[in-house]
Amino acid sequence: MNLKQIVETLEAVPLHAPEGWEALEIEDVFASDLISDILVSEGDNQLLLTSLTSLQVVRTAALVGAVAIVLVHRRQTPPGMVSAAKDQDTPLFRSTLPKYEACVKLGRMQEAGA
Amino acid sequence: MSEVPQPLDDSSLRIQELAYGLKVRDVMTTKIFAVTRTCTMRDVQVIMKNNGISGVPVVDDSHVVGIISMNDIMNAFVDGYMDDAVSLHMISDVQTLSDDVPLTFAMSAFSKFSFRRFPVVNQKNALVGIITPRNINLALIRELSRQLDEMEETGEQTKSTGENKVFHRIYRLTRYDFEHAGRASAELKKQLKARGVPPKIIRRAAIASYELEINIVAHSHGGTFTVLIDNERVRITANDFGPGIPDVDSAMTEGYSTANDWIRSQGFGAGMGLPNVKRVSDEFEIQSGLEMGTMVKAIVYLTDSNGECGQNN
Repeated sequence: MNLKQIVETLEAVPLHAPEGWEALEIEDVFASDLISDILVSEGDNQLLLTSLTSLQVVRTAALVGAVAIVLVHRRQTPPGMVSAAKDQDTPLFRSTLPKYEACVKLGRMQEAGA
Repeated sequence: MSEVPQPLDDSSLRIQELAYGLKVRDVMTTKIFAVTRTCTMRDVQVIMKNNGISGVPVVDDSHVVGIISMNDIMNAFVDGYMDDAVSLHMISDVQTLSDDVPLTFAMSAFSKFSFRRFPVVNQKNALVGIITPRNINLALIRELSRQLDEMEETGEQTKSTGENKVFHRIYRLTRYDFEHAGRASAELKKQLKARGVPPKIIRRAAIASYELEINIVAHSHGGTFTVLIDNERVRITANDFGPGIPDVDSAMTEGYSTANDWIRSQGFGAGMGLPNVKRVSDEFEIQSGLEMGTMVKAIVYLTDSNGECGQNN
């Protein structure tokens, strides 16, 4: 599945969407609110799903090579997080869906083989 | 004004780095003048006068049970009890230092306590030396000039061969400064990538580095963070100035955390930090002294065939 399909499914809004983000292929999704877990997550072309609004999430994502971040269950984003995403050029989106619902939707999408 | 190089002085990053490499035993005076409980205050005064020292430990079967300072002798002189046994007037609650702790712990101890000297004990708690600010200063000067010589030599080697690129950087980390924490790790990752290190090894080094950076910011009063990369390995050293870890074994246990609610709200405090570092490192060392600081050293080999990232499952 590509990032565009994911963003549409999660009804997410872009916070930082660098050129060509739509076509980014996502193979794995990792959902967590614990930095230590994110840090040891392994997956290729991985999307990070989190409700943490700390800019450290963005740094951690870059360290593990996550290709994009979707902030879930959030209506607001701290400015620090967006500027960190811009600095690193990591695509960042925000969805108001709760994390569980977001996971279920993505799971169904994966099953459907999108 | 203190005679000891202050750990938090801005200009002393390089000095601190020198001090991490030294242990108290490398620096202490091993020629010790000590007395037993039954010696008199006058005996101590004679020892001080003959040897030009200002503090004498009181020992019982080589264990430190007290200390007499110049001040105690002056009081004895004024109040007329110079012939009393030292056991009546010594300070018996003596703060000692272990001979195998980093020199930075001693520097912290001098800035925290008002003592002018610390008796140094070995693992069996026997007196093996004395350390004073003068010992520290002399050792740092010696070490500084030794390293300068070394740097001149390697500098010439690099010029002639064009190889042996060494990346060495020291970062300062401040308590709760989550805004800057993680930058050293990002830089480390960039450096390793440029050297063509396999991604799995980069991951392991980045995990160790990041967890240690966060540890300093989340748990310590602040400290320094050093990254050294050569052709064979990455060495990451995290040093802080306290408060120290009361129980290192617990801190090394997965799930054990002392993080407060605010730190947890930032996504930290899962109790996986140090265990993660240990798991991804090829060499790991931790030392901690209450009120003195914690030193963690993690080494990741760059040419290791085992590139596993050690996911916890």
